Amino acid sequence: MSYGVRLFVSGRWGLFVRPEMKVERVSYDVMTPSAARGILEAIHWKPAIRWIVEEIHVLKPIRFQSIRRNEVGAKMPARAVGTAMRTGEIGDLMLVVEDNRQQRASSVLSDVAYVIAARFEMTPKAGPDDNAAKHLDTFNRRARKGQCFHQPCLGTREFPAHFELIEPGALSPPAIDESRDLGFMLYDIDHAGDRSSLFFRAQLDKGVLRVPPPGSKEIRR
Amino acid sequence: MSALASLVRAYDRMAARGEVPAYGYSPEKIGFVISLNLDGSVVGIPTDLRRGEGRKRIARALAVPQPPKRASGIAPCFLWDKTAYVLGVTAGEGKRTVLEHSAFVAYHREWLAGSDDEGLRALLCFLEAWSPERFAELGWPEEMKDQNVVFALESQRLDGVYIHSRPAARDLWTRIAAAGEKNQAVCLVTGERGPVARLHPAIKGVWGAQSAGASIVSFNLDAFSSYGHKQGDNAPLSEAAAFAYTSALNRFLLRDSGHRIQIGDASTVFWAEAAETAAAEAEALFGFFTGDEKGTERIGEKRIEALLAKLRAGRPVEDFRPDLPENVRFFVLGLAPNAARLSVRFYLEDEFGVIAERYLRHMERMRIEPPPKDETPSMWRMLIETAPQHKSDNIQPNLAGEWMRAILTGTPYPLTLLSTLLMRLRADHDVNALRVAILKSILIRNKKMEVPVALDLANTQPGYLLGRLFALYEHIQAAALGTGVNATIKDKFYGAASAQPRRVFHLLDSGSANHLSKIGKQNKGRQVNFEKQLGALMDLMTPGSDPFPAHLPDEQQGLFALGYYHQRNDFFRKAEKSEEPQA
Repeated sequence: MSYGVRLFVSGRWGLFVRPEMKVERVSYDVMTPSAARGILEAIHWKPAIRWIVEEIHVLKPIRFQSIRRNEVGAKMPARAVGTAMRTGEIGDLMLVVEDNRQQRASSVLSDVAYVIAARFEMTPKAGPDDNAAKHLDTFNRRARKGQCFHQPCLGTREFPAHFELIEPGALSPPAIDESRDLGFMLYDIDHAGDRSSLFFRAQLDKGVLRVPPPGSKEIRR
Repeated sequence: MSALASLVRAYDRMAARGEVPAYGYSPEKIGFVISLNLDGSVVGIPTDLRRGEGRKRIARALAVPQPPKRASGIAPCFLWDKTAYVLGVTAGEGKRTVLEHSAFVAYHREWLAGSDDEGLRALLCFLEAWSPERFAELGWPEEMKDQNVVFALESQRLDGVYIHSRPAARDLWTRIAAAGEKNQAVCLVTGERGPVARLHPAIKGVWGAQSAGASIVSFNLDAFSSYGHKQGDNAPLSEAAAFAYTSALNRFLLRDSGHRIQIGDASTVFWAEAAETAAAEAEALFGFFTGDEKGTERIGEKRIEALLAKLRAGRPVEDFRPDLPENVRFFVLGLAPNAARLSVRFYLEDEFGVIAERYLRHMERMRIEPPPKDETPSMWRMLIETAPQHKSDNIQPNLAGEWMRAILTGTPYPLTLLSTLLMRLRADHDVNALRVAILKSILIRNKKMEVPVALDLANTQPGYLLGRLFALYEHIQAAALGTGVNATIKDKFYGAASAQPRRVFHLLDSGSANHLSKIGKQNKGRQVNFEKQLGALMDLMTPGSDPFPAHLPDEQQGLFALGYYHQRNDFFRKAEKSEEPQA
């Protein structure tokens, strides 16, 4: 039995931020593997499994639009929170939005739709009760019903993702007929290590972005 | 490919042609050369490198070791700097001049001490012996203050060899640049592992940004950093790549580079990737389309004349294909400043033929009869039609970029364009050819409407008919009262007539009855003629429906302006024709 799943995701906007342009945000042309992983994890995830994105199909033409929004430029220092927790004093623990306004521009993708083709692996954390069939079943059942632990999004939280399960055996919607070199794309963050960024060379081949498997040589670190 | 990656490639091509400085060097405006003897004593008065006359003297750009990024701290440059650092003199207040000068001396003492190069030694001797008072003692010119200065050995000065360009200085600069602890990571442009640029060189020449330069890649507030990374580690870009993309961009952004145009608030650069002649031709053509007059000189009048003739004749865009350079990859990048940062307004890359074709299609949609004075209006010329008082400052910030993107990608125009133009028309009643042309292009592209290029006597769209009727009433008024009327019915009623016809048209109708009777007293035939025209217009309106609706939707208001423009110019043309035979 295969553990592969396919999920159709779409939304009005998408913003898969390029790291070099994450302040005045500019999106990648195509959803990144880590964004796809985030969507899958929103539907079903347990420490026992690990999602591996294999392909991302682009279903709609790549179109950009730019918007400006007011955002906050400061972060609450972790130390201040720690102090407040220790002392129980929360008087100074605040961030005044009016003093920290930042206007930021974003180049966002408009009207996006993708098919995410992914599989999962069992991790060492899997216990005796865990087996692949059970998790696959759980994912399919939840995705079919539209259940999620948190609203999955297209890159950033402001752009919610609508999702539908593509039933095993059903045909995927056709991808756009476009091939291009997308340059180096963020693969994921090395959360287990020093939290550095991992990159891979992304190629759009007839609307399909093939993602190298974890640990392969194509992933630069 | 990302914007930065294609800029890096542009740099590599320019570096191969020797048009950009090598890694670690940048072109800076240098005002004076201080000439030294081997023992560090100065020779005569420093040479002025600036050109031009009077106050407009422009310093020369010389490739010098790249300056450090100075925000508020004190950081000297290597082997050159402004006089406050080098000599400790400044024309301004100079609270920190002493500190700056000593930092410069200390920095050079540290790095030059062990050198056995005679040029570097001479400079060190000069710095050890120098005191700011000597500036006045030597009688050096006042205008030298606050200029950037470089050094040269007197024996080599006339050959254009400066101390910073001596081989020993280059070696030393490479060592200095490599010194210091640097994080290693994979570069997101090249994919190679290398030292990560912590701060990227500044990008200068973006309109409205700080004159010291701004950055595309910067993390100047807490909220912009992730996972505990600092500065450049947030987006690992190798030093070489950071240098390459900023050098290429800075060169494109130069005023006369032939690679830049200003579109609203977006400083736009464009470049081509192809064999040299084809690339130059594509760049010149694009510059010409979007408003750089110099384009004409660079590709020769004939080519453009041929294109224009086809455009004027309203030939289909397919006809232009053979005139466009082929196999040219083309890049357009629009940048706008935002608080010490630069934001990318639009970036696109495509085959030049495709981009040019889209632009020509846009021009085709804009075609109108009679045409505007300038038949290939630049983007700027079109944009100021949307701005109050025709001032560039009043162009809506986001509109320019979005519109340009829409034109070059062939997508619908921004929705605000129509409402903005209608608002301008209501406010200043200036129904000119360009505005009507833009309205027409929006109606065709966004609303998928069939819109006539020239006066269409059979068009029965309510907006178009009302526009024509309005022009007719105005013409009747002019015929009755002469052209000396202070406020014509256009001045008084244009806005209301285009938006809420029911409120205004019966007033105009009764007014025109008076005007017609006045005309009739002098020239009965003319009165009858006008009445016939009015009748013919009214006949076109759909029977049974309200001739004067309470409101006109936006697209009909656009047609109103178009109908008005066509009808009104038709009167002018008739007048010209009837006068000609008499003359």
